[in-house]
Amino acid sequence: MNAATLSGLLKKGDRVAVSNITGREAEKVSVISQLYCDNIVGGWALAKGGQTIPVAGGKDIRVFNDFEALMKALPEKERPNKVIVYSPPDAVYGDVKEVIQHGRGAVETVYVITEHVAVEVTAKLKHLCDDANMDIVGCNTLGVMNARDKVRIGAVGGDAPAESFIPGGATIISNSGNMVNTIASYLQSAGLGIAYGIATGKDPLILTPLKELLALAGKDRGTKLIVLYIEPGGTYERDALQYLKTHRFTKPLLVYVSGAFAEGKNISLGHAGAVVDGACTSSTDKMRLFDDYFGIPPFDPGDEKSARRKIARSKRGIRVATLHGLVPAARVLMEALSIAQDFKPLRPLALNPWLVELGPLARRLPKELALKPGTIPSPYKELMLSQLKAELGRSVARQSMRGASHASSNDGVTPRIYGYSLPALMSRCSFSRAVLLAWLGAPPAHDFEVELFEMCLTASITNGPGTISAQAAKLSASAGNEPNTALMATLGAIGLVHGGNGKEAARFLVKLFKGTGLTDPYDRKKAPDLDKLVGGYVSDYKRRKEASKVAGGSVEKIPCLGHPVFNKDAVNYDPRERVVNKYLEDNRRYNVFLDFYHRLTRELTARGVTGKSHAVNVDAALTCVCLGIAWPLLVSRQIALERVYNLPFLTFALGRVAGGGAEYLDHHEYGTDMDMRTPNGECRFLTRPKD
Amino acid sequence: MNPRIGELVFLEQLAHRYKLPVPEFLAEPVSQSLLKEKLEKWGSGIIKPDVLTGKRGKAGSILKVGKVLDALKAMREVAAASINGLQPRSAYIVQCVPADYEIYTSISYNSHTLSPAFTVSLKGGMDVEAISDKDKVTVPLNVFQGLNAYQASEALNKLGLTGKLNSRLSLAFVNLWDMFISTGMLSCEINPWRVTKAGQVFACDFKATFDENNFKTKDLGLKWPEYPTTESDFEAEMKAWAASSHQGQAHVSSLGGKRILPLLFGGGAGTIITETLTMLGGDPIFLSDFGGNPPYERMKKTAAICFDHHLHKCELLLILGGKANNTLIDLTFAAIADALQECVDAKGPVDIPVIIGRGGAHLVQGFEVMKKTLDNLHLPYVIFGPDTPITLVADYAASVLKRRKKQAQGGRV
Repeated sequence: MNAATLSGLLKKGDRVAVSNITGREAEKVSVISQLYCDNIVGGWALAKGGQTIPVAGGKDIRVFNDFEALMKALPEKERPNKVIVYSPPDAVYGDVKEVIQHGRGAVETVYVITEHVAVEVTAKLKHLCDDANMDIVGCNTLGVMNARDKVRIGAVGGDAPAESFIPGGATIISNSGNMVNTIASYLQSAGLGIAYGIATGKDPLILTPLKELLALAGKDRGTKLIVLYIEPGGTYERDALQYLKTHRFTKPLLVYVSGAFAEGKNISLGHAGAVVDGACTSSTDKMRLFDDYFGIPPFDPGDEKSARRKIARSKRGIRVATLHGLVPAARVLMEALSIAQDFKPLRPLALNPWLVELGPLARRLPKELALKPGTIPSPYKELMLSQLKAELGRSVARQSMRGASHASSNDGVTPRIYGYSLPALMSRCSFSRAVLLAWLGAPPAHDFEVELFEMCLTASITNGPGTISAQAAKLSASAGNEPNTALMATLGAIGLVHGGNGKEAARFLVKLFKGTGLTDPYDRKKAPDLDKLVGGYVSDYKRRKEASKVAGGSVEKIPCLGHPVFNKDAVNYDPRERVVNKYLEDNRRYNVFLDFYHRLTRELTARGVTGKSHAVNVDAALTCVCLGIAWPLLVSRQIALERVYNLPFLTFALGRVAGGGAEYLDHHEYGTDMDMRTPNGECRFLTRPKD
Repeated sequence: MNPRIGELVFLEQLAHRYKLPVPEFLAEPVSQSLLKEKLEKWGSGIIKPDVLTGKRGKAGSILKVGKVLDALKAMREVAAASINGLQPRSAYIVQCVPADYEIYTSISYNSHTLSPAFTVSLKGGMDVEAISDKDKVTVPLNVFQGLNAYQASEALNKLGLTGKLNSRLSLAFVNLWDMFISTGMLSCEINPWRVTKAGQVFACDFKATFDENNFKTKDLGLKWPEYPTTESDFEAEMKAWAASSHQGQAHVSSLGGKRILPLLFGGGAGTIITETLTMLGGDPIFLSDFGGNPPYERMKKTAAICFDHHLHKCELLLILGGKANNTLIDLTFAAIADALQECVDAKGPVDIPVIIGRGGAHLVQGFEVMKKTLDNLHLPYVIFGPDTPITLVADYAASVLKRRKKQAQGGRV
């Protein structure tokens, strides 16, 4: 190995070039690395030269067609001394050869992240890099973290490297990339930070053998102890321990060897190189080698005193039998060898459930297993709270629904809706109640909800013969259609602007209320602070409206405010909404959404956003009633949001189709054929004859 | 899975390509007349099973025969007898080669030299582990230049073998290297080479593993043998699915357990968790590694296969990994949650606890989507973050399982 120290592998000031940088993983990782340590000078990808990878809040990354172009384009002091290879397996050989050809004298280390590289190719890469005096790490390494310098190469530390890698005195060398990150965060419980985290990869050939890495770690002044995660396969540990014995290695090791359970069984472990292939390559052999080197038995968490004494005597370290044993063992080792903690231990290492819902199982489990939610650490706690508050409704997996229905069934005897027998419903409940059951999948919770819903259906029947939907029924009758066609015409003439605006209102209300923690829309005492909610919304709306005015644009219309007929007064009301409101008042019921709407229209006027108070129209009333019924089901995630958005529209459509029927019957009886035709003389022709 | 072959495929398809001297042989179906003719020529033959396991002789599956009827009977018996739990693909008979010398050779990639290495010993016929260091010579090879006759000869010289035989063997060993490097092998072993009194050399037993990642292996044009397998439908489906893409891992290895369905992430974490579960009696169905940042579709199909085969039979679902470096938790968990929901929708509800532990990018969103689905399905669950070690979570899962078993048996909880 050419690197004389661990910092020779990676240090602050190193300049990194990335192969195949526009690949899915390479690009994502490079952007995070750039934000974390700003060490990427460029990347290359075939036929992608000239592109730039944007790094929001950091330095964008230039992309070149090939490595040669990258080297030529960059001034000498910016040329990379580290290269990270993300190329597809079959391209790795060619790309590393290109790095050797054009990077000789500049590039010190090549990291091959790629998995599934042929072993023959791996051996050839080693040979070529040795000839070129370059170090090569991998293949299938995850990279290296230098926590003291706060720089990384590769994906070590994931998207939040600083979270796991607090600078300190432990160097982790691991056959698993994930274990570098995982062990680093566990060691925080022992008050131990990280000097370096090195993922060697675990392909059949590991090109930076443990012996060489330990030699570097031994010379690193900041490394107080070394933590090893070892898997079966290869003689790296035997070679390393021979080196330690012959070179009077002084730094203590903490070692975890996995995979013994698979011995003698036909089990293939996750990593390609984790294969027993001769003497000293099995987990058991490796455990024995380490135990022999330490001269003491593996760490027993039940007898820390003895372990402390033995470690103090041998000074070489200890092996642990479980991964979580690393933390108490690290603590004991530091005490035994007077190694100071890097910081106060951040938290105890114990079962700490974040989310628990054991249901009836909790009663059947003993106390120690019937866990209660623990403490979620920051920043996850805050993220979790905002996420949980913001989320509403059931998430539904899509599937082929051909011939399948959750809603209806018929076993040849009884037709059912959501499992409820229709004959039984016919004899004991109203049509409105049955419709709510059919649309919600569960019976309504309160009788007053059924009455309100029925009012909404009635309110939707008509708003006079001038409405588009009534006109459609009349047109159909005038053309001589049968009633079903007239009803289709009625339905075809309603949309998001006429009749369906409730869908927009439902989205509007859900967006505003979903983060408020609202659970019961009928409880005035538990309602969120509506003044604040309304005030915030109106302020924002006013600001956007004014900004749009300056820009010559317009803001979105607030759904379900105003009506083409009920708009004459300074303060306007839709008489159908009034009935709903009166019912609520008379029955001492409260609906938080309707209250919101009333406050909203008043506030819009008071703040000068509108000249007069618009009517809270019937679509708003419908929406508030439907949302009141559905909200508890949303909170308890029994129904999906999309279903709730559709409820007001469906309600209007159901009522209006009855009204369409009325128009059809009337027109069919009294009208004359084709009487809806507009006389030619009343038509305007807006295109001149052109022939 | 790296392809492996035994002696019969070597005799049939490889030896002649690389001019490696081998004894005559006959493979099934064998006509009585041809067998008679060969046995008369050979004097005697050796019946062997075509099976990928060592110690066939110790298992009593290698039989020397001289008469036709004995040979036919022995071939039937050897082909039918399983060895170390493996069923032979067939049986075959090779010419019996009387030998003065038995020589061991192997070529494999060496983790000490980080290159290919050639090993030779005059103590052939023994397990290489049983041959002492002084009785074998290992020659590290330049991967570009390979083994030349001079190196091979020097190695034999060190072992005390000189003269014509040295020369003849050296040439054979060079051909062995040619075969090794031009077929993309990871390792090959001829043990033994048998040398007759007349100085003739025969490669008398053979095994090799090929590198599935090496394009030479893929383009070899070899007819890969189909060995009888105890592989379950689940393993076969997962193997085919894993091989279909390199985007993310879809690795499983069956453990024969029945109770815990473990969806695990990371080669290291998967090993550690499985080890913990096994030690604590968790009875995991398989070892898995579904890390490597799989895209949604990849993860969903992987989970769907697992659920389809095991969800309605297992007693606990464990979804566990360390603190991911690359894998997006929201995406992978959404895929698993959707697969879970679809499996339940298709096959009916289950009532098993679900224990989850994970860390990494977009963790909170991942937990949220999983929680939603588990709530929908009314499944009891405990979800741990990255501050709880995976081994403690595995320990907890095994403990919950033990309690459920006691309950099922009517025991006191």
